[in-house]
Amino acid sequence: MTRLPTNCPSCGGQLLVKSLACPGCGTEVDGRYALPALASLKAEDQRFIVQFVESSGSLKEMARLLGVSYPTVRNRLDEIIARVVRAGTSQEKDDECDSQ
Amino acid sequence: MSATASDIARPAARRSVSSSLFKPFAYIAGGRSLLMGLAAILVAGFLGSLSDTHFDGVLDMHTGLAAPTSVFLAEGIINWLSLSVVLFLMGKLVSRTAFRAVDLFGTQALARWPTVIAALAALAPPFQRLVARLGDQLSSGVAGPTAPAGDLALGGLVGIASVLCLVWMVWLMYHSYSVCCNIRGGKAVGSFIAGIIIAEVISKVALSPLLRA
Repeated sequence: MTRLPTNCPSCGGQLLVKSLACPGCGTEVDGRYALPALASLKAEDQRFIVQFVESSGSLKEMARLLGVSYPTVRNRLDEIIARVVRAGTSQEKDDECDSQ
Repeated sequence: MSATASDIARPAARRSVSSSLFKPFAYIAGGRSLLMGLAAILVAGFLGSLSDTHFDGVLDMHTGLAAPTSVFLAEGIINWLSLSVVLFLMGKLVSRTAFRAVDLFGTQALARWPTVIAALAALAPPFQRLVARLGDQLSSGVAGPTAPAGDLALGGLVGIASVLCLVWMVWLMYHSYSVCCNIRGGKAVGSFIAGIIIAEVISKVALSPLLRA
């Protein structure tokens, strides 16, 4: 399956989900759905999060697997947390604009 | 999510020579860096005792004053603790992230490893002859101390090498602070410079009774 695009190739803005389909019966649902905050992250950040979960949330284990120091892993996690928070905040703003 | 479980088996990060020399704390921290750093501090102190080379301050290196080996060893430990404690408090004030003391103290200890090279360089015979000769001349009140050109040139090279080692050490100290406390840019540079100045004063005050004795 191809990778989910998260940004507009033309203007770079955050993309919305416009259509969803059931592969079983072919039912399609149209609308304007925001991407989850995690899905809006870059692929490498998503890979990091998957590794983090698979390591039972152990930064020490992550450091060992990636061959880097503990603070390097923790700093990377801090960066991703900041991106997730930013993505969440911008989605909240979009929701507010839509409701108005 | 586009990641798969197999990605976790990705091989460990490859290190270039330059990152090993100038950004080692991306790869080493914690207890391992603490053990390696303490060993480096003690080796530098012992080598210093062989040539009467003192690291008598966080950023200082001076040659010529004879003292027991324990003084040379204590100097390194006091310098390391002075800067580590000050940068730890600075980090707590400035950083927004929670960081581990063992990472900062360990990498600060390892950041002092270039002093081993500086202490080795100070053992060079031309440098030793130069220091002894200039010391004798100055203590006997000679107006314009002189030395053979060869000793002067080689001694000068050792001096330059030592200064470069100290500059390298300061860079490593900054890198350690920046990585361990996750602080970057002007905030990191400003708080690090303030920390170095405070730690230099603390180390001088703490070392003065030792050197006077």
